[in-house]
Amino acid sequence: MGARDRHGIDPPWGEFRHVGQGSTKIDGLAKATGAALYADDLSLPLMLHAKTLRSPHPHARLRAIDSGAALALPGVHAVITGRDLPVRYGILPWSQDETALAVDKVRFVGDPVAAVAAVDEDTANEALKRIRVDYELLHPFLDPRESLARGDPPIHEDRKEGNVSKKVELAFGDVDSAFAGAAVVIEGDYDFHGTTHAAIEPHCVLARYGPDGVLTLWSSTQITHYVHRALSRVLGLPPHRIRVIQPCLGGAFGGKSDPFSLEFCASLLAIRTARPVKMLYTREEVFYAHRGRHPMQMRYRTAAGPDGRLAAVDARILIDGGAYSSYGLVTTYYSGQLLTGPYHFPAYRFESTRVFTNKPPCGPKRGHGSVQPRFAFEVQLDRLAERLGLDPFELRRRNLLGADATTVNGQRVTSNGFARCLERVEEASGWRQRRGRLPRGRGLGMAGSMYISGTNYPIYPNPMPQSGIQLKLDRSGLVTVFSGGNDIGQGTNTIVRCLVAEELGLQLEQVRVVAADTDLCPVDLGAYSSRGTFMIGNAVLDACRKLRGTLVSAVAESWGVDPRRVRFVDGAVVDLEDPGRSLPTADAFQLAEARFDTLGATGSYNTPSLGGDYRGGTIGASPAYSFTAHVVEVTVDEETGRITCERAWIAHDCGRALNPVLVAGQMEGSAYMGLAEALVEEHEVNRFGLHRGPSLLDYRLPTSVDTPELHSLIVESLDPEGPYGAKEAGEGPLHPAIPALSNAVFDAVGIRLQHLPFTPGKVLKALRAAAAERRPAVAAVSGT
Amino acid sequence: MLRLPSFRLEQPDTLPQALALLDQAGPEAAVLAGGTDLLPNMKHELRRPSVVIALSRVKGLTGIAEAADGAIEIGAMTPLAEVAQSALVARALPALAQAAALVAGPQLRQRGTLGGNVLLDTRCQYVNQSHFWRSALGFCLKKDGTVCHVVAGGSRCVAAASADTVPALMTLGAVLEVARHDRTRQLPIDAFFVADGIVNRRLEPTELLTRVRVPRPAAGHRGAYGKLRERGSIDFPLLGVAARLDLSEAGVVEHADLVLTSLAAAPRRVAGAADALRGSAPGHAPAEFETAVRRVAELARRQCRPLPNLPGDHEWRGEMVPVYARRTLLAAAAGQGPVHHV
Amino acid sequence: MLVRGLRRKIGVILQLQVNGDVHEVDVPDHWTLLEVLRYRLGLTGSKQGCDKGDCGACTVLLDGQPAISCLVLAREAEGRSVLTIEGLAPRHVAAGGCGVDPVQAAFDASGALQCGFCQSGMILSAWALLARNPRPRPEEVRAALAGNLCRCTGYTQIFDAVARLATAGAATAPETSPEAVRD
Repeated sequence: MGARDRHGIDPPWGEFRHVGQGSTKIDGLAKATGAALYADDLSLPLMLHAKTLRSPHPHARLRAIDSGAALALPGVHAVITGRDLPVRYGILPWSQDETALAVDKVRFVGDPVAAVAAVDEDTANEALKRIRVDYELLHPFLDPRESLARGDPPIHEDRKEGNVSKKVELAFGDVDSAFAGAAVVIEGDYDFHGTTHAAIEPHCVLARYGPDGVLTLWSSTQITHYVHRALSRVLGLPPHRIRVIQPCLGGAFGGKSDPFSLEFCASLLAIRTARPVKMLYTREEVFYAHRGRHPMQMRYRTAAGPDGRLAAVDARILIDGGAYSSYGLVTTYYSGQLLTGPYHFPAYRFESTRVFTNKPPCGPKRGHGSVQPRFAFEVQLDRLAERLGLDPFELRRRNLLGADATTVNGQRVTSNGFARCLERVEEASGWRQRRGRLPRGRGLGMAGSMYISGTNYPIYPNPMPQSGIQLKLDRSGLVTVFSGGNDIGQGTNTIVRCLVAEELGLQLEQVRVVAADTDLCPVDLGAYSSRGTFMIGNAVLDACRKLRGTLVSAVAESWGVDPRRVRFVDGAVVDLEDPGRSLPTADAFQLAEARFDTLGATGSYNTPSLGGDYRGGTIGASPAYSFTAHVVEVTVDEETGRITCERAWIAHDCGRALNPVLVAGQMEGSAYMGLAEALVEEHEVNRFGLHRGPSLLDYRLPTSVDTPELHSLIVESLDPEGPYGAKEAGEGPLHPAIPALSNAVFDAVGIRLQHLPFTPGKVLKALRAAAAERRPAVAAVSGT
Repeated sequence: MLRLPSFRLEQPDTLPQALALLDQAGPEAAVLAGGTDLLPNMKHELRRPSVVIALSRVKGLTGIAEAADGAIEIGAMTPLAEVAQSALVARALPALAQAAALVAGPQLRQRGTLGGNVLLDTRCQYVNQSHFWRSALGFCLKKDGTVCHVVAGGSRCVAAASADTVPALMTLGAVLEVARHDRTRQLPIDAFFVADGIVNRRLEPTELLTRVRVPRPAAGHRGAYGKLRERGSIDFPLLGVAARLDLSEAGVVEHADLVLTSLAAAPRRVAGAADALRGSAPGHAPAEFETAVRRVAELARRQCRPLPNLPGDHEWRGEMVPVYARRTLLAAAAGQGPVHHV
Repeated sequence: MLVRGLRRKIGVILQLQVNGDVHEVDVPDHWTLLEVLRYRLGLTGSKQGCDKGDCGACTVLLDGQPAISCLVLAREAEGRSVLTIEGLAPRHVAAGGCGVDPVQAAFDASGALQCGFCQSGMILSAWALLARNPRPRPEEVRAALAGNLCRCTGYTQIFDAVARLATAGAATAPETSPEAVRD
């Protein structure tokens, strides 16, 4: 990290004009009026429609494919199979185990096998039915324990470790001694089921291969740059002949952060047919593309002193990865590496094993790899508090990591507003007056968490910046910002506009943002790991500050005054010592252009060197961490077993809230998503190897009448390295929702829910088991 | 986008035209009476009719009216939202109003019709899936196959009757008016359903349901509907319970009924419910009434054993049978309802 | 008319009244209203999320009532008035307003538009609610929007948007009754 990557937390011109204001979004009205264009809203003359043939078997060898009858159908322009796209890819350089279409094997029901381009969707669908595929069926692995136990038949044949995808074992401090000497040890088994992103927009691409030999792909991706690289690799086209554009995106949550089959297929079909090709996944296909939250079976042991001070944590985790690696290597590390805050503990060991199964591949979903362990750990803490007779808040306060600390696994934590988060939710929920005093069936629970604001490790190792920005200043007073960042609805482009306007003293309407177009914009690595505001924001400040001096000196010279008297504010330039003297921004730009040159600047951000000095020590290392605390209030109907989440209080330390309306939206959306995972959502493969219900009817997203009252409480700990002190808000606020809910159910009816999802049937069984014991609460703790 | 298979659309303006078209097309035709069930099923290729006859333009099939004898007559094409919002229905037939108000979500209640709901196809977790999905699993008894995935070795389709309004109409003794090009017949709704998941309705392919006629209950009528589902909107029932209590002027139960749906291929009337409840007086002797209600709930539990035909935990559905039976009866007695978790 | 070699017959010309304009389109019988709006009329503001009536993203107003356009055959919409998200602002301006419709402005001001994909449908459901009930209670708002799934917001800022209008009351709510939508 160079000096240019730190810009301080202070307003550039004395006071903030836009930051903290909660302005409307840069694309809000376009979205509200239907004018915003998403991938499937685009069309081109002569456009063909493409469809994918998918495997009906969970595990099989491909013996032969006959697509002759499909090609013979009038209106069909091309059929491609795995032989046409044999080059492997994968988001991580170390685990390239996917092909756009199956080459020799299929590994889950829904694995792509062939693709067709035809004049319309109906013809393409008809063609799919005429493709004959000869399969040799193989034993399907549906249970991760079986994959762990045996590697035969292998799901991926060239792996050394059978059906193990990744195993990580790390230990810090003297774990065994800590357990031996502990006053209290809490042990428990926890299950996290599979869930998926279910963004309302299905994946869609439009590909065009021009007579100039340039491939343009409009894709509903959240990682334009990586798609660009993957297309080049798989298609064998040099990257300068490929342009990837992300149009307006209808939600992602991590579900659009891999390169996907349709991107390669539509591109090749466009090349083969010399016509534009669109491919839009059906909702069912989106469930097969998946990359959702990994199911995890977790065993935790937590050791503490008599005062509740944590002594050691020991975890063993089995991760069901599904059919491909995707981000799995990172997931496996994250399952252990991201647990080491917001509490201090001196000894820690985890062993995480990800295995392949014949199911849709898992990947990163909001809170990648760390939502599952956080659930287990925060319930462990609640049980520890119960055992020691401590209030759950008090237990956590006794273990605070604090600011400017180093975690047990060597991560540097700078700003830390967790203690304040605890205070805010404790106060707002009336915890002290209400907890334990509500009628039976009603309860309060709490939990905390920590999350990264991006990581210092790019997905492919390279020394270049993680984020780049380019500014172009126009004589009209307009600034056009070229940003590689992917605005996926979270508002990245709105933040970019806000920061540029702040830095150059402009009105918001004087800033236009062009984003996520690899021909026009410098590289940003994409919308994942909550890196956007932090990294793109810093790159913006870097670029703006390079121009500010130029602009100020041009005006100062023209006025013949000391540059310190010149201030850019709200679209004008004023003389601080002569209120009568001012210029519109446009005039200032013209003065500077005449005096110096055409006006533009670039800026970038790269992370400092971070992380522990051991293999994997940089995974999970972030330039800044966000913190969250939740209190959740539930009612439990003991006769039906149904849990109703009545309200949730969410306090989140996002550093400086650049736009509090957007921050609150992220907090509420995160909490909603976590609570939904806990109560109703289930991405499950049935005993036949099929997704049990790949539709938005059977995969149930809560509706407006199912969603609790959500109260967002923003906590601002100004981060020394964030843009004006900002950190992330998009993923962290999800984490405590699930354990807080479980803990609230304990408060309400005295049962410990440790196996997600918390369906009413499971609740009833737990209630019955508890009733069978004389002292249900104690039994639940010792019985695990 | 998931596409509809191609077909020819007919939009008759009159009932005779519609019946004539249906007579010509026979089993090749599908009748579109809202389409909120038919069109998804067609997208899933559960049905591939060559002709679709849309009834939306046919005059005389909508509306809620009181007949001379006090019966309430509801046109088959009356939107569910209208049934739910009708003051007359709410007052006279509370269970029906409540059931109609809980079908699917707001838009689908505008589009979906009472007739369409009565004729809703049976549902199963192995059936209501795309053609690709079903082909991957292997087709089943309900459509294109010979096996049952719910009951291993089963030879009878157990897809679940899933219409919310049907149990309410059964407790109300509704009569279905069914027309064919050459005749019209009146069919008590009790005789309309059979326990066959493939087709659970006794309706000939050339017949149309045109009207639902509900005899006017006596002044002491109480009714309620209970619906079990995961979410508070959109979802089909995992269990539907309609309860009826007719009280004398003295507040004594003279007639009672309890009908459940979403368990098996046909809705089920709880045998012995009427006898158990008759003579009790919810207002005057609530404890005795509650005892009777518990007895009926226990009867319901014994008579209903849900199969894993719908998504989710069927054992839990079974456990909810007595709970929802009891709660719905109590709600009816109190003049309340629906029994629904939100 | 049948043309040899083509799989489908060419349909009868269909007249659709959308946002006050009459469009003539030629589509096969099995096309849905959503497909015609998006892929024939260029009205891509109505979104497709679930294929089959489970999400509400394709909600349009049919004679003033919210309807799921992926479950309405295009031909069934003939003779009825269709209002899509694209029609709201022009309608507001034609009625003497300026800018966008107040419902759209409220959604923008409240942060309700994250990815925006569900919001055309959501806004139309809210608009129809406010047209018949300018001051809905919070539970009425929740009930009216219960057929429109949103994955981003947790609905809170959407409720805020409608509450903004409900508080303002009839002054800023849509001034037209559902019937008046039939242009």
